[in-house]
Amino acid sequence: MTQQQIDQQTGDEGTDRTGAAAVPQTAPETSRKSGQETGQPLLKVTDLQRYFPFREVQGLKMVRATVKAVDGISFTVRQGQTLGLVGESGCGKSTTSRLITRLDTPTAGTIEFQGRDITHLKESELREIRRDVQMIFQDPYSSLNPRHTVGTILSTPLKVHGLHQGKEKARVQELLELVGLNPEHINRYPSEFSGGQRQRIGIARALAVEPKLIIADEPVSALDVSIQAQVMNLLAKLRDELDLAFIFVAHDLGVVRHFCDQVAVMYLGKIVEYGDKKKIYEAPEHPYTQALLSAAPDINVARGIAPKERIRLVGDVPSPIDPPSGCRFRTRCWKAQDICAQQEPPLLSAQADESLRGKREGGLHLQACHFPEVKTDLVAEVESA
Amino acid sequence: MENPLNAMPGAAFEIEAEATPPPAVVAPEHKDVRTGRSPGQVAWDRLKKDKVAIVCAVIILFFILVAIFAPLLTALQGTDPTTGLPASPDRTNTDLVDIDGNPLVGMSPHHWLGVEPRLGRDLFARWAYGARPSLIIGFVAAAASTIIGVTLGLLGGYVGGAVDRVISWVVDFFLSLPLLLLVLAIVPIVQLRIAGGNDLTAEELSTIRFWVIIAVLVAFGWMGLARLVRGEVKSLREREFVQAARAIGVPTHQVLFKEVLPNLVGPIIVSASIAVPAYITFEATLSYLGAGLVEPTASWGRTISDAQNSFAIYPLWLWPSVIALSALVLALSLLGDSIRDAFDPTSRR
Repeated sequence: MTQQQIDQQTGDEGTDRTGAAAVPQTAPETSRKSGQETGQPLLKVTDLQRYFPFREVQGLKMVRATVKAVDGISFTVRQGQTLGLVGESGCGKSTTSRLITRLDTPTAGTIEFQGRDITHLKESELREIRRDVQMIFQDPYSSLNPRHTVGTILSTPLKVHGLHQGKEKARVQELLELVGLNPEHINRYPSEFSGGQRQRIGIARALAVEPKLIIADEPVSALDVSIQAQVMNLLAKLRDELDLAFIFVAHDLGVVRHFCDQVAVMYLGKIVEYGDKKKIYEAPEHPYTQALLSAAPDINVARGIAPKERIRLVGDVPSPIDPPSGCRFRTRCWKAQDICAQQEPPLLSAQADESLRGKREGGLHLQACHFPEVKTDLVAEVESA
Repeated sequence: MENPLNAMPGAAFEIEAEATPPPAVVAPEHKDVRTGRSPGQVAWDRLKKDKVAIVCAVIILFFILVAIFAPLLTALQGTDPTTGLPASPDRTNTDLVDIDGNPLVGMSPHHWLGVEPRLGRDLFARWAYGARPSLIIGFVAAAASTIIGVTLGLLGGYVGGAVDRVISWVVDFFLSLPLLLLVLAIVPIVQLRIAGGNDLTAEELSTIRFWVIIAVLVAFGWMGLARLVRGEVKSLREREFVQAARAIGVPTHQVLFKEVLPNLVGPIIVSASIAVPAYITFEATLSYLGAGLVEPTASWGRTISDAQNSFAIYPLWLWPSVIALSALVLALSLLGDSIRDAFDPTSRR
């Protein structure tokens, strides 16, 4: 095969095909447990909070305040499962991902990984966790050190964790093939790659340590739409082949629907609706979720089917420094009543008993609204007809 | 080589974009796929194509060679027929001046630039040896202040918190001091502290003064770079590749020196290359003002100071030092500019 052919097949955005090198990734790694551990969740986040204190000088006074970026969120991720975190900019999605990877330390709450509390581990104790939890970053132009070659970038995780000692180069080339890049390009610098290729390098770096959980912080939002599809397909393929769990942060509802098993909708640092993908997309109960979904472009319009009435939210997202009392969405909610300002709605199932906590037939579905729009199947049918 | 497509396990993934044939390679073409050029290499290549930079480098190299081979160049003048001794920058020759101190020898095969009025020292030897303190002070002070500035800047920018506040305060404090006034006052005091009481020769005192000047220049010259590096580090540490390194578990010192520092090579080299001519000028200024190098060390700044009152009568006393100092400082400054252009991607021509 000529060099040019290799280039065409593996070099650029053309394809997700990765060749035979995909297989060795699953080769047994002695001490690491693999396979489904359906009993215990891989990651359990409980009442996670992150407040950013800051000081501001107003005239002669020093005002102390806190930005409540993440304010008490809980969710679990199981082996091989994918959770989508969606919401507007500034709702705390990225802060949450930084907290789970422990690039930042939470103000309160706990993060358990495989049953071990990692909330307050020191950097030296985090090393094991760093092998199991990896991150894919949003901006492929900022996530690769412009001064290092691809080989250096991908061998750094191997060296830090002492993996594949003496055979780092072979492993790096294997990783490049795994993400559909030409292994010959090992000595190139990031500036010599396109955005999609750079993101593949970022994915390869995350995979280098054979993690169990990957947090992808808007991994495709900086890419062209055609490249987005390829990178998403690559991620989906790798997830299935390597049995990875994902936390997928995004504001693109279409991408999340394509990729995730469960979805958590965030608003101003809180989860307002959380459940199985099918439930969230087909029977959203929280007004905010409904508004988000109605704002997403609808393929039916292009097909000539009249669009549903679009919900237009009025006003901006309130400041997380001084969030509204009670329900945080009430300032923009068309259903808001007095109780919404007085009581904060808990994240509960709207239909089942509280004791069941949403473990009803048909899967998980929790929402935080005093007036959820519960559709019985009958009602749903009538409405959609 | 086996076609990887045949062995592809994920063939089922064919949605939207997958249906279209793979587009042609978009990546920049290279003669050899294995080569890649680091930003430093790119800057170096650009610098090599810069004519101004080449001319400046040649001029600087010339003065470096003059400084290194000063004894050799001086010896080329041979033995003075009057005194019967070889030329030397330090030895006074009263035989070569008349009773009023006027030199008896002008430009001649044994004294290419004539001799100094009053003391009768060989002017070419003093000129050649005068390149030494200028260059040594320029480069040593630039290197030392760069090391201090980068270290403190990295520390303050990356660690943050109280460390950063203390370092920033010290930087602000030093920047607020009136530099020239303080140096004029400090240099004699420091010298007195070190040499005070001891019975030292003029040469020893001159050497002490030389190092005191370097120390003082460094003490007041590191802040600019420290500030620059601190700011750069503060922005770099929020960049995603630093976050990625942390997420991988790379130890902090390795993050600093392997991830952050390589990205600062450009600004550091630029800053250092601009600092060299600045220090040389400052040394000459100090010597001119009388707070710099002292006799018997040959110094262009001192020579200019001594010669300025009689430059009309003895032009050879003044002009070689003025021309050499100007040419060296100009060449270093222009080279610094060229280096900055080479590292700045927006200035690509």
